[in-house]
Amino acid sequence: MQNPKSRTRSSNCRVGVDTGGTFTDFVFATESALQVFKLASTPSDPSIAIIEGLRRIAHDTGVPLADIEVVHGTTVATNTLLERKGAKTALVTTAGFEDVLAIGRQARPSLYDLGAARPVPLVPTKLRFGIRERVTSAGDVLVKLDEGALASLVRKLKREGVESIAICLLFSFLHPEHERRIANALRALDVPLSVSHHILPEYREYERTSTLVINAYLQPLMGSYLNRLQEHVPKLRVMQSSGGSISASVAASEPVRTILSGPAGGVVGALRVAEKCKLKKIITFDMGGTSTDVALCDNEGMRVTREAVVAGLPVAISMIDIHTVGAGGGSIARVDEGGSLRVGPESAGADPGPACYGRSLLPTVTDAHVVLGHFAGTGLLGGDWKLDEVRARKVMKTLSGVMSAVANRKIDYLEAALGVLRVVGVNMERALRAISVERGFDPREFALVPFGGAGGLHAVGLARALRIPRVVVPINAGALSAIGALMSDVVLDMSRTVMLEATPKITRVLRGVFREMERTARDSLKREGFSNTRQRHECSLAVRYQGQSFELLIPWTSETNVGVMFHKTHNARYGYAQPANRVEVVSARLRSAGIVGEQRSGSERQRQVRRRRAVVPGHYADVVSESGRSRVAVYSRDQLEAGMRLNTPCIVTEYSTTTLIPNDATAGVDREGNLIIEL
Amino acid sequence: MKQKTKNTRTAHFDPTTLEIYRALYTSVAEEMGIALRRTAFSPNIKERRDYSCAVFDGAGRVIAQGDHMPVHLGSMPMAVAAALNHMILAPGDIVALNDPFAGGTHLPDVTLVAGVFEEKEKGEGRKAKVRTKLRFDSIYLDHAEGVSELPPFALLPSPLFFVANRAHHADIGGATPGSMGMATDIYGEGLRIPPVRLVKGGVVNDDVMDLIMANVRASDERRADFEAQVGSLQTGTTRLLEIVARRSRQEALAYASHLIEYSARLMRHTIAAIPNGDYEAGDMLDDDGVSHDEVPLRVRVTISGEKARVDFTGSAPQVAGPINAVEAITVSAATYVFRCLIGMDVPASAGLMEPIEVIAPRGTVVNALPPASVAGGNVETSQRIVDVLFKALAQAMPEKIPAASQGTMNNLTIGGIDPRTNGEFTYYETVAGGMGARPASDGMSAVHTHMTNSLNTPAEALEYAYPLRVRSYSIRTGSGGKGKHRGGDGVVREVETLVPAQMSLLADRRKNAPYGLSGGKPGRAGRDSIVQGGRKQTISSKGSWKLAAGECVRIETPGGGGFGRK
Repeated sequence: MQNPKSRTRSSNCRVGVDTGGTFTDFVFATESALQVFKLASTPSDPSIAIIEGLRRIAHDTGVPLADIEVVHGTTVATNTLLERKGAKTALVTTAGFEDVLAIGRQARPSLYDLGAARPVPLVPTKLRFGIRERVTSAGDVLVKLDEGALASLVRKLKREGVESIAICLLFSFLHPEHERRIANALRALDVPLSVSHHILPEYREYERTSTLVINAYLQPLMGSYLNRLQEHVPKLRVMQSSGGSISASVAASEPVRTILSGPAGGVVGALRVAEKCKLKKIITFDMGGTSTDVALCDNEGMRVTREAVVAGLPVAISMIDIHTVGAGGGSIARVDEGGSLRVGPESAGADPGPACYGRSLLPTVTDAHVVLGHFAGTGLLGGDWKLDEVRARKVMKTLSGVMSAVANRKIDYLEAALGVLRVVGVNMERALRAISVERGFDPREFALVPFGGAGGLHAVGLARALRIPRVVVPINAGALSAIGALMSDVVLDMSRTVMLEATPKITRVLRGVFREMERTARDSLKREGFSNTRQRHECSLAVRYQGQSFELLIPWTSETNVGVMFHKTHNARYGYAQPANRVEVVSARLRSAGIVGEQRSGSERQRQVRRRRAVVPGHYADVVSESGRSRVAVYSRDQLEAGMRLNTPCIVTEYSTTTLIPNDATAGVDREGNLIIEL
Repeated sequence: MKQKTKNTRTAHFDPTTLEIYRALYTSVAEEMGIALRRTAFSPNIKERRDYSCAVFDGAGRVIAQGDHMPVHLGSMPMAVAAALNHMILAPGDIVALNDPFAGGTHLPDVTLVAGVFEEKEKGEGRKAKVRTKLRFDSIYLDHAEGVSELPPFALLPSPLFFVANRAHHADIGGATPGSMGMATDIYGEGLRIPPVRLVKGGVVNDDVMDLIMANVRASDERRADFEAQVGSLQTGTTRLLEIVARRSRQEALAYASHLIEYSARLMRHTIAAIPNGDYEAGDMLDDDGVSHDEVPLRVRVTISGEKARVDFTGSAPQVAGPINAVEAITVSAATYVFRCLIGMDVPASAGLMEPIEVIAPRGTVVNALPPASVAGGNVETSQRIVDVLFKALAQAMPEKIPAASQGTMNNLTIGGIDPRTNGEFTYYETVAGGMGARPASDGMSAVHTHMTNSLNTPAEALEYAYPLRVRSYSIRTGSGGKGKHRGGDGVVREVETLVPAQMSLLADRRKNAPYGLSGGKPGRAGRDSIVQGGRKQTISSKGSWKLAAGECVRIETPGGGGFGRK
């Protein structure tokens, strides 16, 4: 922590906290700057490290612990799901559909793998209970709820000792009454209930049931975790997977909304950084040791999806549309039996790690960077972590031997290393394409924002491949998720299924629907302390051609001609429109936000803009790149000040990442301290 | 299909660039699939994903295929070959075909094929003519057979690639809604489309489109699905041209060939690991739906070094009922089986089949000739071909091969008039079953196996779309074969019609249950019935029935075979 005693004695203190596998990051704003520090995480109970860090902040700022406002990016939900450590969960559903959860969509996970396995359902057969009732697709009751069976259901659930229950009936989003009555009866059990018409009032029973069951599975653990934290810090909010923070009580009852809590913080952080650079359209690129997350933000902000799959299970609520590839710095390179150079998905992880960590003989992406001189001999973590170059060279030489045999010509270890980077690059490129070009976005209109340990090493090359004109390496990139948590708005999402044909007449209906939702949202935000001027309400519609199954989201105002707007959107996304077809509005969605004031970032030193001052490099290093061997300048990020221009080619080293900048790019530092690279 | 492998086997390639192209071409095929699914109208395409997309080189050799439907694995290339045999594609042309005897599989699977040509000169409008500066592309001509016969078309530019997609349309005409009925010849099965230009010079050929639409049920939905297929080809074209523009056309074409060689090398490597020898097996289909006679299949697999020969001599002559498979399907099934043995992801390129020779005697149930009816060849016989092949290979590598899976797709079609719209509807579904137990683990329950991987129609989506209601959808507990490892359980699916309707069923493994291996017990055979109130009437596995409103069809799918003695 820099400047431990430079603080504000205001009673108002907001802190962003993000728990990672290794470190817990803390960010808070003082009068002049953002303060960032890291503590070692406490994986068995992440709240221990958090409380310790918050105590330090309380001590330094003089704000009592109980008055600190905390916004938390958490991995508790994700880890519980990945490690299958959730509650003993039961499911109550329409009789005849108890196995929907196990059957899924009846597809196998891998087409040509005779040994493939599907994830085991979170609720075993004997804890899935069918109850006699049925609602039709028109919302009519076909079979009345068998109320007589409720008492014996309660007994059975009690006997099994279930800790959490999901209730998910067919077409409950059209007729919630049956679910409501079941929930009332089950309240006697005093365990958390997840009810489908409340959490996900949308059709497709498997995806809905899966989402509900995940929620129930996470609820007890998440509830007690957040309770523990709230005992110390009552003003607690949690980052949700679609960006924005939700109250701890919402997160406790709907933990499924926090599955991508941490990564969402990273994307929000990147977005805030970009906004200060007057950029809206960005692609975030978070490359770590074993995997890489990419996401896209356009004029409307983060792109969200409702078709995410986590740990093999569908989650049909809004989440940032993060695309993950199993490739990172630790990905292992090998030549397969057909002679193709493959990189990943096997990873050397942190232990034994890449060859250059000195414990393995696995040639990895990081080793390729080492032999090519991309770390400028400084090692990792500001030089605290030495890299074994001799070992890296040895494994790259072995790899180049195999490649030479296949190609029938001499390939030296440098060329092999460049090959490894090219292959991992094309995997990354595929991920970036998947969220941009494949979704109808032109990368040339975007800026790439890398973070995570290896992001800066690949960002410029990838930007060039996709013709992205600009790369922004944020200041404090190592704590971007915590920064994002700190800066994210308080959000409230609501939706109503309307199923209306898009005619001019619907404007009146929609206005009514949105007015009612907005009233609820305003009251709720007001209770959280946001005056009307600090609220934002955005209306959108999920629209499709009658007959399609996938909706496109279009923004809505009372001026919008829904039909025209939809044809245009469909054309932009899929390359054609069908003006003769009927357009159907499936649901009306309102996203309301309580706007969090601007938080200062960048240290004072960096905020003093000194225009056009060239900076003297710390030293020079020999580097091999696609264009050959060259001697490049090496800068330490600490010495970079606002307004400085950098000589290219160069390498910028900092505590948690290294950035490679080739000679055909220009680079400078903006007033916030971000590194801006123009291609 | 002749392959000129010897000449190119020693061609130089760079391992890095090869891997890059593997990713690039595969992602094109996948992106075409996403575009198709998201824009299609029929639940069978958008919910069940019953389609495949692939990319071909300028000679029509497949270089990448999305992980869509295995049954299309070996048969997509034949569609492109048939299109090229019939006509020369000009820029902006799209060929449609479904003729099982000319590149198709069964009539509902309609394939669209387009050539990908180098971009027009900049500045020209949409309708502008393509570049007239023609040159014979050496790579294209290298691979084309009978080069000297090309001059009549020499004024046409040659395509760099072809793109194709195949979608199962929920109806393609014929006597029964859904076009999966009990016809005894191809003419009764629906509209047969030889390769024709559905789109010409970028404009939809209304004559052809109208002819097709006049012959199919629920034509509005069909038309929209065709448009989605066209859109998907456009997506593929755009992406391929981007690759060419970025990386050079010479390299892109050269590496298309290298990828084919790459798949061939991996397949040779796989076959070499199988002990040399002859492995024989027999299995059978229950019946053809017309007579009660079993329909035997026989195979003899000969492994010698890096090569395999798969000989179906001894299989039954083609039959009257609609379970005849055309050769494309038999090749697909053989490709599928050997591809499973590779054990890693590999481009589904033409090279996969290079070391494998398939002998399917003409006029048999594994290589039917016109005018045989073929609706079930694609979905039922294909599964049995896989069963018999794995049974033979289990003798060579018992530690790798699973026991028989359900061995059927349980094809259910229901059609009639939807009172909500007064329009026709046809619903098509294939129902999952048990997977065979593996040497090291139980089989999965309630999954689609082998030649298909279509999703189900969610009950809620189905009831929105059709006047039908799902009464139950559950796992058929205890139907998996016992053994050291258990076979997966089948499924029970009960669908009620709310209006008078015609229902067709095309299924198998109702008499001869899926076999176990190494002492494992067979799975339980499937069973079907019509349910009205409490009354349940068992029906045969193949046929067509009139259902009254309120009647229900109940399908109980087979369990997988067990593995090893308990």
